[in-house]
Amino acid sequence: MEILIPILTLGALGLVFGVGLAIASKKFAVWVDPRLERVHGLLPGSNCGACGGAGCFGFAEMLLSGKKGVEACRVAEEAIKEKIAKLLGQKLQKQVRKVATLHCYGGTRVESRFIYQGIEDCVAANLVLGGQKACVFGCPGLETCVRVCPFGAITMSEEKLPIVNKDRCKACNKCVLICPKKLFSLNPMTHPVFVACSSHDSGKDTKAVCPVGCIACKLCEKACPVDAIHVIDNLAVIDYHKCVSCGKCVEACPMKTIRIRR
Amino acid sequence: MKKLIPEFLKGLIKENPTFVLALGLCPTLAVSVTVVNGIGMGIAATFVLLGSNIMVSLIKNFIPERIRIPCFIVIIATFVTITELFMKAYSPALDRALGIYVPLIVVNCIVLGRAEAFAQKGKVLNSIFDALGMGVGFTLALILISGIREFLGSGKILGATLIKGFEPVFMIGMPSGALLVIGLLLGFFNLLKSRKEKACK
Amino acid sequence: MQIDIGQLLAIFISAVFVYNVILSRFLGLCSFIAISKETKPALAMSLAVLFVITMSSALTWFIYRFLLIPFNLAYLRTISFILVIATFVQLVEMIIRKFAPAMYRFFGIYLPLITVNCAVLGVAVLNIDMFFINGKAVQASFFYSVFQGVCVGLGYTVAMLLMSGIRERLDLCNVPKVFKDFPLAFIIASILSLSFLGFNGFRF
Repeated sequence: MEILIPILTLGALGLVFGVGLAIASKKFAVWVDPRLERVHGLLPGSNCGACGGAGCFGFAEMLLSGKKGVEACRVAEEAIKEKIAKLLGQKLQKQVRKVATLHCYGGTRVESRFIYQGIEDCVAANLVLGGQKACVFGCPGLETCVRVCPFGAITMSEEKLPIVNKDRCKACNKCVLICPKKLFSLNPMTHPVFVACSSHDSGKDTKAVCPVGCIACKLCEKACPVDAIHVIDNLAVIDYHKCVSCGKCVEACPMKTIRIRR
Repeated sequence: MKKLIPEFLKGLIKENPTFVLALGLCPTLAVSVTVVNGIGMGIAATFVLLGSNIMVSLIKNFIPERIRIPCFIVIIATFVTITELFMKAYSPALDRALGIYVPLIVVNCIVLGRAEAFAQKGKVLNSIFDALGMGVGFTLALILISGIREFLGSGKILGATLIKGFEPVFMIGMPSGALLVIGLLLGFFNLLKSRKEKACK
Repeated sequence: MQIDIGQLLAIFISAVFVYNVILSRFLGLCSFIAISKETKPALAMSLAVLFVITMSSALTWFIYRFLLIPFNLAYLRTISFILVIATFVQLVEMIIRKFAPAMYRFFGIYLPLITVNCAVLGVAVLNIDMFFINGKAVQASFFYSVFQGVCVGLGYTVAMLLMSGIRERLDLCNVPKVFKDFPLAFIIASILSLSFLGFNGFRF
């Protein structure tokens, strides 16, 4: 008799809880669009946020509600994107492939003003008098962009400058946002010519701290056949709507600041 | 039989639940003040592990998929209750020393983790040896930690003074000492692992 | 019903500072070490734990007082408590998923993980040990139990936030490779625990 009481009590508890949960699961059931799982399964799952959605799951939800088109995803391959578009009954629009470009070539060629000992992070170093490098516009070289890239597309060269692997880069914009010196920009793949400097110092000041900085000599402006490059505020700037990638400015530049992306 | 010995051995060193898998740290740190407590907890946990692994691998085919975790928990809780009552009856001193950490074996990550990851898929005999391996590994880890802590914290091991005139480091007996000891031990085992990997290369 | 303010203060100070749930009693250590790497998940986990601990303190008190004691089944407390906790967490998960999907995604997998958090079951058992003497409930024990639940949740939050703040910064420093992640986290926790010892007045 005595053993019946605990058995019955526990059994009753289990029954009550089990039935309660079963009822609750029916009452609080959430209807999930079956296509959501399939679309989410097709997406690459890198959760980079380049599409503007909250990760791949958020993007899938936005696709289903029609807030965004499939082409917003910069990571998935064309074939996958077409599959998703067909699933949702959308039409895929072509997008220009972009890649992150670093506008600095200083690195170890630029001396340090002081020894920085602190958190090994460019954003943190930038808070200390604008970083330890003699050029305040240049790359501090503390690998923050390397860490933030979700695709492992950035590595550090021997000169302590970030190198972007253009096959791995998906133009997700994370490095652009995190760099405290604003050295990255997303350039179209079709235009490989870029100015590897961001210094607005006068020519004399730039030359004093960096052997490859832009000295605003305007030789590139004169060499360009389509008037695509201008020196604005002591720095050469390329207008990619006009640039035809002829490379004349690259030859003309005396400091070898204008380069061709490999 | 040959295939079962590795199942047992892997719980000792290669997949030691405390130092490699980092599971079940709550009771490890709390009870490792003296070696006696450590051994007691180790044996209790081994018993629960064994019982639940056997039970789960026996009835795994009858449990519906969606409620398997609550079912495992109930099975484990049953064995823990058995252990609790046994301890209260036959070694009340140990029960008082271990305090609330005896019922907490239910939520010990090791037990649930092995039931979920292993007993659910393997055969009964494999599960037995896996449970034994993990349990003994856990006990050994406990003995190591509590040995260090008891020696440094009070100068004795198992109640016997080893070195005369040894001034104990009182902090080691306190909770912060436990965390420090396990932090250093984990670092030490990481060092051993990385040395071994370098040697393999 | 007499509620002793002194007792309440004692519960609060002991749960949050002197016998801090994580740093002194080691309850909830697994999730503490695993999740305190970043502040946002740490905050999410702490809030969820606070809620679950409070509610489960109340529920387990009821079960103990009105089911287990009258039928002389005090030894079944472990099983029934863990059943209550598991059911409750499952229910909460369902409700949040239905009514606050954004919060559901914020919590992620941390909500079901609370079931096996030592702190929840530990506090339930602690309440029984502290507020039931010889099988009878102390005066106003329900209130004390729930209050202790809240304070333990607060203590958990304090420890988590302290730890995540430190670990986020530490991530960016030059840590020796063998101490990366877990070993360093434990050593930091040890120093934190030592500092909390000061609340004891350095009386051992």
